[in-house]
Order: sequence, then structure tokens, then C-alpha cells
Amino acid sequence: MPFTASEPIPRKEKISVSYLVQKLRERVQLNLTACTSGDCSEYKFVYEVDLHRPGMALAGYTDLFTYKRIQIIGNTETQFLDHLPNSEQIKAFENITGFDLPVIFLTDGNKLSDDLIKIAEKASIPIYSTPVETTRFMFLLRDFLEDQFATQTMVHGAMVDVYGIGILIAGKSGIGKSEVALDLIERGHRLVADDVVMLTKKSNVLMSSATEMSKHFMEIRGLGIVDVMSMFGIRSIRYQKRLEVVLELTLWDEARDVERTGLNHDSVSILGLDIPLIHLPITPGKNITVIAEVIAMNYLLKHYGYDPAKAFQDRIQSKIASKTGDFDPTPRRAIEYFEGDVE
Amino acid sequence: MIKKKITIKNSSGLHARPSAALVKTASKFSSDFFIHFYGYKVNGKSILGVMTLAAEHGAELELEFEGSDEKEAMKTITELIDNKFGLKDE
Repeated sequence: MPFTASEPIPRKEKISVSYLVQKLRERVQLNLTACTSGDCSEYKFVYEVDLHRPGMALAGYTDLFTYKRIQIIGNTETQFLDHLPNSEQIKAFENITGFDLPVIFLTDGNKLSDDLIKIAEKASIPIYSTPVETTRFMFLLRDFLEDQFATQTMVHGAMVDVYGIGILIAGKSGIGKSEVALDLIERGHRLVADDVVMLTKKSNVLMSSATEMSKHFMEIRGLGIVDVMSMFGIRSIRYQKRLEVVLELTLWDEARDVERTGLNHDSVSILGLDIPLIHLPITPGKNITVIAEVIAMNYLLKHYGYDPAKAFQDRIQSKIASKTGDFDPTPRRAIEYFEGDVE
Repeated sequence: MIKKKITIKNSSGLHARPSAALVKTASKFSSDFFIHFYGYKVNGKSILGVMTLAAEHGAELELEFEGSDEKEAMKTITELIDNKFGLKDE
């Protein structure tokens, strides 16, 4: 069976506000201070990536109020509330707390009066404040939410970083994927995952990682489970790497066409993204490890604008075009004149 | 392609030894063999894959076979799981 991507894993449906706040503090290093007491954030959930600034709703227009989204109160909203007399301020704030909001973030160091905080506490809406500027906070928060709600899938193969290029070695069980990965590690490349690779679609790239369980373990047939990080050290592993090339190992089959020039590019669609695919039939004497390195270097060359297959093609075409009149058809060597020293 | 739902019956779940027995048996067949468990989809011929599931006693797995000997593979593997992998129940 040729390499095909698996079905996406069912997307995460919701995340709790307490989890969100905890991860924003730990992973995104955001400074968040709880403004409301009586923690209800464990029972409040975020269902979508989008954020909302509730300016219109505060002003009284709540017909299209997207209240299920995270609400961001920045400078505009705060100044709007501040310019109102106290009683109207409460009324305006009640316009939004009447809905079941998941959480409110006060950005740019803005504050709400104690009266308003009490209203939110009564409505069990957690409020957090941050000194981070509104647009920057929204960018960081969205990036985190997109990651949490991202589409993911699982593929079978060995994921290795070779010269900075993420290569997924795919192929049938027992064909030698782990052995190639081990050989690459021995040569100084880095393992991301063996056997079970999780792929996450992040904007328009695929990020790969191991699973929580299998990270940095590997199975070598006949030997059993080995721990790559303990054996080869920290330099031999990576936690994440973008998937750039899929290398599919197959048994040699006379009938099957293999690419000979490199002018045709095959690809495989994973989670809707096209990833370059290279079929590599295994034959005696073929060093897959070195070929994997060559694939990575060739990918880098192409990335920097040099395509060897195309360069050769251009050379042939200009040679053919130059064949006019008194053209000498005899073979010509690469060097015009051998110098005196016969070396 | 054929699919079948099955429940893990041995009390300690799908730990290293049962997983080894499972992948060894699966590798005898030429059919592709995948196991679905919650969102997981792993290759049933890969021991790391199977162990990643950390399937407990009573866990319900969905087995998927595809290939020329899929029926035979499904029968053998179902029997293996039902017989608690031929291991003494610890």
C-alpha cells in the first residue's frame, strides 16, 4: 500500500479557561492576574479560536454579539466605560455579563472598577488582566488557540531532522525505517519520533512530534526497545520539527517506474497540504542513510534556488540549440587542456 | 478492508508482553493492520505504536485489516486477544 495520510484525529472540542490561563502563563510566558475571586474558570470553556472585542455590545447593540468567544477589553472599551456616569457604566457592563461569556481579558494594564468586577463575579465570569498591549496579546492568544484546536493526524514512520530538513521515512513494517533513522542519528542527525508520528497543521505547515508515550524510544527488530536520548544524548533528539519531505521506502519491483531525472515531483496530501514525496526502492548495496542526507542537501539547494535536474536540462537544451553549421559531433571531455603534471 | 471492534480482556491491559505477542502475530500476515483507539490510529505491526495506546483492561479497540489475507489475520488476532494473549493473567 503506498504511503497515504491517515484520517485526522477528532479535533479538541473545548478547553477550560483554567487550563488556558495556566498554559498561557507557563508556555507563552504571559503575565496574567486574576481580577475576580471565587474561581469558576475550571467550569468555563472556550470552544473556538476567534476572539471578540465587545465594544458594540457594551454600547447596547447585542443582536450579533458573539458571546461564546473570548472577550477582550482593551483601551477603546475601557475608555468608553470610563466616560459614562457610574450608573450607566453598570448598565453597559450588564449588557455583556447577561450572556454566558467564557472569560474576559483586560489588556494593556486596563482596570475595571470594583462594582463591575462584582457584577462579573456574580455572573461567574472570570476576568484576567495583563499588561501586554491589546493587538500583541490577541496575536499571542490566537496563535495558542489555533495550536490547541489544530487538526492533527498520526502516521506510521520515522521522523528525523537531517541537516535541518524534516524527513519522514515511511514504508511497510519491517522494511528498515528505524534502522535508517538510527544510522542517521549515529551520523549526528536528530530523531523526532519513531513509529508513531503526530502531525499538527499549523497555519500552512505541518509540525511533527512524537506522542507523549513513545517519545525518543525506538524499536530495533531483534533487539527490542532502545532509548535514543539516554544512549546518544540530548543532541540526538528534537521535540518538534516541520515535515518537509516524505521518503517512502519500497521493496524493489521491476515493474514499477522510478524517477530518473528529478524533473518530476511527486507529492502526497496530508491534512490538505502537499508534501514532496520521494519513492526509494531498496536494492542491495544502496545506502539509504547517505541517500537521506543527499535528499536533505538537494532540498536545501532547491530551496536556495538551484535545481540540479533543471540545470542539467538547461545544459542539454543549449547544447542542442548550438548544433548548427560546422558543429563538431565527436565527444568532448570536461577539460580542454591537461596541464604538464600528469596527476 | 474489514474492521472489527474488540475488548481487551487481560487484567493488566496491553503492556509490553501482550503488545509483543500481538505484533509478532500480526507480522506473520501480509495484510496491513491498524488499531483505532480514541483518536489514535497506530500500525498494529509496530510494538511502539501498540504500546503507545496504553490500552487498559476493558478498553475497546477497533481493528482494521486490509490485504489478501485479511480474514485470516482478523480471525487469528481476535482469538489471540480473546485468549488474553496466551499469557498467564498476572
